[in-house]
Amino acid sequence: MTASAPAGAAVDHAIVVSDLTRRFGEFTAVDRVSFEVEQGEIFGYLGANGAGKSTTIRMLIGLLAPSGGKATVAGHDVATAPNRVKESIGYMSQKFSLYLDLPVEENLLFFGAAYGLEGKALRLRSAELLERVGLDAQHEATTGDLPGGQRQRLALACALLHRPGIVFLDEPTAGVDPVARRAFWELIRELARGGTTVFVTTHYLDEAEYCRRIGLMVDGKLVALDTPAGLKRTWVPDRVLVARGRGLAAAGSRLQGAAGVRAVAPFGAGLHLRVDPARLDGAAVAQALREAGAEAVEVEEASPSLEDVFLAVVDRSAERRP
Amino acid sequence: MTGSRLLRSLLRIGAMAGKEAIHVRRDPRTLGLALVMPVVMLFLFGYGVSSDLDHIPLVFADQDQSEASRALARAFDGSGEFTVVGRPAPEGVEALFRGGVAVAALVVPRGYQRDLLLGKRAEVQLMLDGADPVVGNQVLAKADAIARVESQRLAGAAFARLQPPLQVKVWTRYNPEGRSALYMVPGLSAFLLAITAVMLTALAIAGEWERGSMEQLFASPVGRLEIVLGKLLPYLVLGLLELLLVVAFGALVFDVPIRGSLPLIMLFGLVFMAGMLGQGLFISVVAKNQLVATQAGALSAMLPAIILSGMIFPIENMPLPLRTISRLIPSRYLVHGLRGILLKGNGLDVLWPDLLAMALFAVAILGLATARFKRRVA
Ligand SMILES: Nc1ncnc2c1ncn2[C@@H]1O[C@H](COP(=O)(O)OP(=O)(O)OP(=O)(O)O)[C@@H](O)[C@H]1O
Ligand SMILES: [Mg+2]
Repeated sequence: MTASAPAGAAVDHAIVVSDLTRRFGEFTAVDRVSFEVEQGEIFGYLGANGAGKSTTIRMLIGLLAPSGGKATVAGHDVATAPNRVKESIGYMSQKFSLYLDLPVEENLLFFGAAYGLEGKALRLRSAELLERVGLDAQHEATTGDLPGGQRQRLALACALLHRPGIVFLDEPTAGVDPVARRAFWELIRELARGGTTVFVTTHYLDEAEYCRRIGLMVDGKLVALDTPAGLKRTWVPDRVLVARGRGLAAAGSRLQGAAGVRAVAPFGAGLHLRVDPARLDGAAVAQALREAGAEAVEVEEASPSLEDVFLAVVDRSAERRP
Repeated sequence: MTGSRLLRSLLRIGAMAGKEAIHVRRDPRTLGLALVMPVVMLFLFGYGVSSDLDHIPLVFADQDQSEASRALARAFDGSGEFTVVGRPAPEGVEALFRGGVAVAALVVPRGYQRDLLLGKRAEVQLMLDGADPVVGNQVLAKADAIARVESQRLAGAAFARLQPPLQVKVWTRYNPEGRSALYMVPGLSAFLLAITAVMLTALAIAGEWERGSMEQLFASPVGRLEIVLGKLLPYLVLGLLELLLVVAFGALVFDVPIRGSLPLIMLFGLVFMAGMLGQGLFISVVAKNQLVATQAGALSAMLPAIILSGMIFPIENMPLPLRTISRLIPSRYLVHGLRGILLKGNGLDVLWPDLLAMALFAVAILGLATARFKRRVA
């Protein structure tokens, strides 16, 4: 394994990508993307439909040849040693569907055999994973009878059979209910705590908060890459305040356009304000609202969500386009 | 090193095949299609025939006019299977045929009795209206049985002989090559094998694309060739089972003889199936979903097997363009080969060109399909 890793390569990087590009005819689905993923981190890959998330993953797992650039996964070049890459990673495709007509356990046994496991070792490993994803009681059930959340957990188990150091999960929680999503993410975090590197794409911004770092894709380009907190600092520099009280609507509209106030919007029964953190804080805004006629005012600072980040990033990219 | 790599590869192929076998086992439709259809079709082809065919109108053209020839006529007439409806001169047989008066004619040549008495083999001719091969088959089988009994009677009278004294030579009118329904069993085998192989593999592999699991397989260390082999193997076995079933039922229900070797039959089936599986694979790689794959599979498997294989329409009677196209159709070679093995007891010395043609087709289509398959990404 180490033999094929170039001398001096950073060993703690599970994935190294530089200028990775993929074209389909005239269309560039992934455009000179560069990033690194550290060993054992949960790396989130976010983007709208068609942004190029799946295409990136498919290049990283040796399924699709890059049109340009270079990517190393677990020390193996994806262009020249796709088979070594395949052996060292686990993959749950976006369209992943198990063999629904087979019993739960047969799915595991089949994928285990596909990865070269056999006999007793395979049975033990599959039993162990069934327990870990909480499906040991259902091992004889027909896979098609399982609810969506359990199927996704089974799919994850199938990707983990051969103890890969890196797993790629392409929208693993799409179409699954919130409770099941939470349970699934608990599994992902447990996996990362055990030292497995997780590369995961998602549409759900609340899930992205669980990631150590996030890459944001817009139209094939990686436009932002940081920790969730870092992204918020960079992309949503405003202070976000939530005000409650009486007579806020009238007071709020009077505040619109005042110095340091960037945006005012009704938010439920209260107000949502974005202000310049250098010029205003919660107390000052509460004071101003009272002066504008509101009563029983309480102001609380809210943290920006990744949704705010995402919208800001998309806005910025749209502005830049000719 | 290479040994263990081969072993690992074999294990993966085994895993693929094992999984596919579970699919088949758990899907009653597939099994039904594969194992019940042959039996149903055999009975469909066989019925309608056995129920109403006795007192088959026969004309008896007796050129010998001897004691022995009259005994032969009595044997036919008294069996209940045939009714002698006329005793024309040999030149008149044709007219009776054309007029639909008789579907069979027995012609006893001059010298029949003399040959028998001299201990030489006596030859009679049975002429059949082969336009309806199913009827033709019945006539042939029954005439054959009566002639055998008569032959035994004669042999008993003249002590034991190595060769049966009475030889029935069959001439078929209107349908010289597709002589009888005996010929249907080989044809049906080709038809059924083609359907099973092409349809089921096309379905199974298109399903894998559609489900998205093909991408999952591609992302695993399982090679594409291993996927192909593993997926095709169970259907190969299923097809050979079908072939056995058809041959066995043919022998039991239609009295189709098995004169040649059974292993050779299986070898023909195997090589033919390989080509058909390749065809199914090719369709599934080109077609994007199961629906298209099913339709393309059904068309490309059934039509040539019915129309161009010689199963129903004799190849010799086809117009030249069709005859030329039929050379590209593997079922043609299987039908010819199976007829040779089953009915004539031919061996490889005679039938190797058929086997070679099927093998060429299999190699070509499998190569083409695998190449397409390799280039296609999920
Ligand atoms: N094989 C292909 N041939 C042509 N175009 C393709 C191919 N695969 C993907 N694309 C195009 O590349 C773009 C990026 O696709 P990709 O699947 O990577 O997006 P994604 O970010 O995963 O989107 P989603 O959230 O919908 O899964 C899309 O516009 C898609 O149509
Ligand atoms: Mg995608």
